This record gives sequence, structure tokens and C-alpha cells, in this order.
Amino acid sequence: MSNFAIMADATCDLTKELSEKYDIITVPGHLVFPGNKEIKAFLDWETVPRDEFYADLKKKPDEYSTSPANVEEFAEAMGKPASEGKDIILMTISAGMSGAYNFALQAKDIVEKKYGVNIKIIDTMRFGPGFGLMAIHASLQRAQGKSMEEVAAWIEENKNRFHQAGWLDDLSFVAKRGRLTHAKAFFGALAGVKPIGEFDYNGMTTVIGKAKGAKKAYAALLSYIEGTIEDPQDQIIFIAQTNRLPQAEEYKKLIEERIHPKEIYVKDVFPSCGINVGPGLMAAYYVGKPISKDLSFEKELLNKYLEAKE
Amino acid sequence: MSTMKINGQHLEQMLKNGLNNLLNHREEVNKLNVFPVADGDTGTNMSLTLAHGLNSAPSRVEAGPYLKYVSDGMLLGARGNSGVILSQLFKGLYVELARCGWVSPAQLRNALIRAYKTAYASVVHPVEGTILTVAREGIEHIRLQLTRQTTMEEFLSMYTAEMRKSLSFTPELLPVLKESGVIDSGAYGYVLIFEGMLDRLYGKEHKAEKTEEAAAVVGPASPSPIDLDLFNENTVFEEGYCMEFILQLMRGEDYTRRFVLREYIDDLKLFGTSLVVVQDGRRIKVHIHTFKPAKVITLSQEFGEFLTFKLENMQLQHNEVLQGAAEPAGHKELSVIAAVNGDGMEKIFRDLGCDVVINCTEALNASTQDFIRALGKVSADKIVILPNNKNVVMAADQAVRLSELKNVEVLPTKSPAEGYFALAMDIQDSHDIALRINQMRNGMKSTVTLTESAATKDYESGGISCKAGEEIVLLNGKLVAASTDWCDCIINGLKAVPDIDDVESCVIFRGDNTPDEYEAILEERLAEAFPMLEATFVYGGQSVYRFMIGISE
Repeated sequence: MSNFAIMADATCDLTKELSEKYDIITVPGHLVFPGNKEIKAFLDWETVPRDEFYADLKKKPDEYSTSPANVEEFAEAMGKPASEGKDIILMTISAGMSGAYNFALQAKDIVEKKYGVNIKIIDTMRFGPGFGLMAIHASLQRAQGKSMEEVAAWIEENKNRFHQAGWLDDLSFVAKRGRLTHAKAFFGALAGVKPIGEFDYNGMTTVIGKAKGAKKAYAALLSYIEGTIEDPQDQIIFIAQTNRLPQAEEYKKLIEERIHPKEIYVKDVFPSCGINVGPGLMAAYYVGKPISKDLSFEKELLNKYLEAKE
Repeated sequence: MSTMKINGQHLEQMLKNGLNNLLNHREEVNKLNVFPVADGDTGTNMSLTLAHGLNSAPSRVEAGPYLKYVSDGMLLGARGNSGVILSQLFKGLYVELARCGWVSPAQLRNALIRAYKTAYASVVHPVEGTILTVAREGIEHIRLQLTRQTTMEEFLSMYTAEMRKSLSFTPELLPVLKESGVIDSGAYGYVLIFEGMLDRLYGKEHKAEKTEEAAAVVGPASPSPIDLDLFNENTVFEEGYCMEFILQLMRGEDYTRRFVLREYIDDLKLFGTSLVVVQDGRRIKVHIHTFKPAKVITLSQEFGEFLTFKLENMQLQHNEVLQGAAEPAGHKELSVIAAVNGDGMEKIFRDLGCDVVINCTEALNASTQDFIRALGKVSADKIVILPNNKNVVMAADQAVRLSELKNVEVLPTKSPAEGYFALAMDIQDSHDIALRINQMRNGMKSTVTLTESAATKDYESGGISCKAGEEIVLLNGKLVAASTDWCDCIINGLKAVPDIDDVESCVIFRGDNTPDEYEAILEERLAEAFPMLEATFVYGGQSVYRFMIGISE
């Protein structure tokens, strides 16, 4: 029986099954679908089938958009556990990518005043399954009997160890929306070239290498994971994919054979993130060595494997 | 007629006659291309190169100075391999005749020897059976036959006749000519120029037949009226001025400073870029891009006065040319300049972060001058040039030499597909320039290019033969498939790619005149024949090749 609640905005991409299993409350934001149809963010494909969504998104990228839950909605969501007297850790998507963190901070003041509870808002500096994985780790820490302060401190201390190892082979969405990366991304089709992205120190993703073709990319990525992961046998690895399911399944198989994690899941990216990432993401998320400030270690490591012959 | 000596004015008339003779045979020269596709451009390249030289040379009585202008102009306007070699031949001519007002046959003989030696020295791997051989044998075989009585007409008759003989042997030296049943096109073009020159001595004038087209080639592009509204008080002035002038060095008290070319160039370098300075005795020709024209003027007036002077607002021209197209703003760590063959490719290259894209047709290569201009448009710590065929690699190298810029690297990409993969592998947002260049090099490496087009003549190579009009596929320039059906031809061509069954992906550029529906037809056939191959179709807009396919592993 936990005495504090763990909450996460819906960009954590945790399905109902996982959020129930780890007792994480998700806070949905908003989506705009074609025809200016505004709907509440969802974390299943019950109303909109996955393949249909990504196919349509590719066709009409400009007719989709996202916005986070507003202050009132965050306050309302936090009000529920707060009314039961529970303290709260609320985790948000990287503040560099969305306004969720700032909205949640304002909501915190309202809820704390009203219910006299303690709330910690944490900028995870991650998005999607990387963020979701961090929320699960927070839950696992809580299950060890740690206090809210201890869990919050653990996340702050360790969030820089959450890696992304994978590719985003269609950069046009990232380029258009200007989320996810600091630098201008380039639109052009890449014909088999796989840009490999890792989280940087500021919670954005950065291309740290490129591979010609999936085979070379898999080979280098596996070595890269091996070189950065810690205690794989105790780890849950998430593989996220946007319209790249066969590649993700292949990746899962390769990771199982080589890295032997405790658990590994291929996970969907739901529209809250998917609309900004676009199709073409195929990446693994895991906990490993702290990421260097300028990504120099990670770049060097990956490029060593990329240049190695198959 | 018996002419014992010629001067600059004679040479001007002779060379113009030579150019017209070449122009009238241009198509013939183009068709002699050793490959059976219509990218034959030797005649066009050579005539453009010579025309640029003649147009940039003011009339001069003295032969040496006149040839220097011609040679400098050719160097700047050189197009293609043949153009670059032609410009080197003329460089040798002027160097030998630099101090001659009047030229005797013996002096011309020495100059023609110097010419071919200069040309040989400029080519990294001289190939026999080309313009080089003909220029060498033409003079070496007759040099001892010259006597004091030999007139200019006799001398040039011997020279051109000997070159004709040498020309007929070129297929024996260069197997690819023999296979195609042609003589070397560049060599033929060179002979035509000298035959035209000789004809002028005999009073036979060649008029360029296709007057309209010839004018377009010979004359400078007629300046269209510039729209002054493209520049106003809100315009960001970041292009500077293009200055061109000829400075006459003067005597007298007002001109106190002693002129030393090297020092003058060093001083000018402080004021601008794209600097070209050519000294001709007491006259200095200068081309410079600068933001501070006054400084250039003040400096120059320490030495002399202006004979001609031209100042253009490049921002205005730039705005007009680009009409809002994305151009690099400000200084960058790394800028990329590329040459492509179509409007679609231009857009793709820009989307991939290329700063300046030179769009030219397959028949008209990017020139040295195009690259110099492009270099003047970018400001970066490091500049990378991506050419689009091997002749353009030479033009780009030449531009880098002339620009004297030390921070430019030409990656020898030999097709737009190689350039494409170089850009696709670039990590544009990285600050590690060495890594970026290495990425581009990796992108270019092990890229193969297939092109599909119609053969322009019967041809046989490597056991494959095709008839004119038939569909053919070239793999890195070599004929690998011929068929009456374009789609069959591509499938067969792809089968010639090593380990094609393991290839994961390719990029396919659709040509300018290729119907849209061909894409779906090809896509279906590819899926059937190579189920593992993922094709990315893009519009390239190239004019000769129906499809260009790039594979990079």
C-alpha cells in the first residue's frame, strides 16, 4: 500500500495494462485530428486503429496536432489522489518538447494549497516509451518501500541514465514540428540511410551517427547497447516503434539473443507523441551509463561500431 | 597569300573563325561521345570554353597580351574535361608567346610544343588517344620540317594535316573508341579550331550557321532588366558587390607605391573573396566580391587608374535569381556546394542541407566559373563541393585552385546519386566537421549508379550490344543491359549489381519527361524481382535519363 501517487502525462505511452500493473495514473492531453476534431489523448487503439492512424498521418501531417493537459486538467487529475491525502510525484515529458511541465508546476500550487499535500513535478527530459520506462522505475523504487522524497531524488539522479538506441528514418515530422531536437532537422528522403538518435543532456534527441541500411544499423546498435547498458539481466527494455513493427520485432529478437534482458516489450507510440515523431521511429529504451554532457562518448562509441565492417 | 608573321588582331580573327568552325560541327563532335547515350557534350563544352576566352579578351595588337586574355578567360569559363584541357593548351601558348607582339611560324611551333606539355602536366592521368595525343603528335611530327621560308599558312597546313592523321589513329590507342567505332571527340574539336584558324589565313570565313544559337553561345548572356524593387531599405545586404576592373599602372608622383603583384593580391584578399587577379604587363585585371568597394578603389589608385570599371550589387542579382529560394544566411561551420542534373534533384539536395546547388543539364556541365561563383556565395570555415560527374570533378578542382581558398574540399562524387548519398549520410546538426566530412565520404563510397535511357547509336561493349533507339542501362557508365522494353532493361541492369539480392534499399530519381505512371509500373516489377529491396522514389527532373538509380551499401 503506497502512501504517495505516481502520475505521468499521457506522452509516457503506458497502456492501461502497464499503468495498472505499476499503479501509475496517466493524465491525458489533447489531440487535434483532421477536420479540426479535438479529442482527448488516448493510450489504446480501440477507436483509431494504429495502422490507419499512421497511414493517415503520413498523408495529412498538417491536419494533426497535439497540446498538453492544461493547468486546470492537471489540477483536477492531481486532485483525486490529493483528496485522499496522498502526496504525488508527477512526471512530465521533456520541458524542451512541451509545455506540460510548466502547466503541471502551476497546478501543483493550486492542489497543494487546497489539500495540504506535497507534490513533486519532475521533468523527465524524455518522451514516449523512454519516459514510460522511467515512470515504471519510479514505481519499482516505490515498491521497495522508498519515500516520495527518496523516489523523487532517485529519478532526478538517474534520469540521465535512460538511453535511446535506435533510428528515426523519416525526419520530416521532426523537421516540421521542431520538437524532439534542438537543431534544424532536414526534410529530405533518406533512402535506406538510418539516422541513429540518442537523448542528449538537455532532454532532446540528437543524431549521433548514421548507418547505411537496417542490417548495419542493427549490428552497430546492439554493440552500442552492450557498451552503454548496466545490469541487463535485471532490466526491462522497451522498444518503441511508429509504423515499423516488423523491424521492431526483429530488433527485439536480436536484443534478446545478445543482451539477455529480464524483460523486453515492443511498444506502441500513441498519438500524443506519434503526431510529433511521425512514422519511422524504431528504438530501444533502457537504463545504462550516464549520458555524457556533449554526447562525445556516445558518438565515438557508436561510430566505432558503424565503421567496423559487418 | 604568304603570311610570315601574325599579331594579336590576326589571332583574334583566326580564333573567331576557329570557334565558328567548331560551332558548325558542334553536334557532330557531341555525337562522337564514346558512350551511346546523349550526354555527349564535348563540342558544346569546348565551344563554350573558347567563346568565354574570346569574349573576355579585348582586342589587342600584340599577340602575347591578347592570348593571355584569351587564356585567362578560357581558364575561368572552362567546361568539362575537354574544356579544361583546351584551356591548358592555350595557357601554354600564351606563356610561350607572352612577350611576342608578332608571332613567326617558328615561335608558334615552340608555343604549340609548350601548349601540349602544359596540357599533359595538368592532367593527373594523361590518356593517349585523346586531344593530348593529337596536340602532341601534330607538332612533334612536323617540328623538324620547318625552315626559314615556311609561311604561316604552310606551317598550319602541316600542323592540321598531321593532327588529322593522328586523329584517325586515336581508336588504335583508346579501345573504348574502337569499340564504338568513333574517333576522339575532344581531339576532333581541337583540330576543327585550328582548321578554322588556317581557313581565315586563306580568307575563308566561317559564319556560325545556327545564328541564334551561336549568338547565345558566343555572346554574353544578354542581361535582362534588373528589377530594382528587389532591393529596398529593409533588404539584408549580405552578398556584397561584384567588382571587375582593369587597372593601368601609372608613372608619376601621384602613384607612389611600387606595384608588386603578390603584395597587391595579399592586400585585396583583406577586402573580399572570389579574387582573380591577372597581370598583363602594366595592366592588371581584377575580379573581386567585396562589401567595401571604396577600399579596393583607394588601394588600386595608389598604383594607377582604371581603364574599365564594373560594379554590381550582388544582393540584387541574388534576390532576382533566387526569388526567395532558401540561401545560407551568415557564416557557417560547413557549407556544401553541389552540382545536379534537374530541378527535382536541386530541391532534394537543398532539403538535405546543401547551401548552393548548381543545376545543369546532362549536356551542359557546371563550369569552373560556376563553382567560383558558388564559392563566393558561401561563408564557412570549411566548404565541401559535390560534383555530379567526373568532368565536373575537374572543373571543381580547377575552381578551388583558382580561388586560392584553402578550406575547400572536393569530394569526387561522380553522379548525382553519389552526391545524394553523401548528403544523406551527413550529420547536419553536428559541430564535428571532420566527422561530417567523413560521413559524406562514407555516403559517397561504394555507391553504384544505374541510368536508363535510349541509345543514340548502335553500340557494343563487354558482349552486350544495342541498336540506336533501344533501351539501355549503364552501371557506373558501363553498358550492362539493352532491351526494347525500358522496364525489362532496368530489371536486367539491376541484376548486374553485385550481391543485388542482399541490397536493402535504393533511391530512384524520375526524369523530367518520364510519365508518372512509370513509377508504379517499375515499383511493381521491382517488388517481384527483388522482394527485399525497398525503393525510395523521388522526382529528379533529369532530362536524359528516364530513371537514375542509386544504391549504396
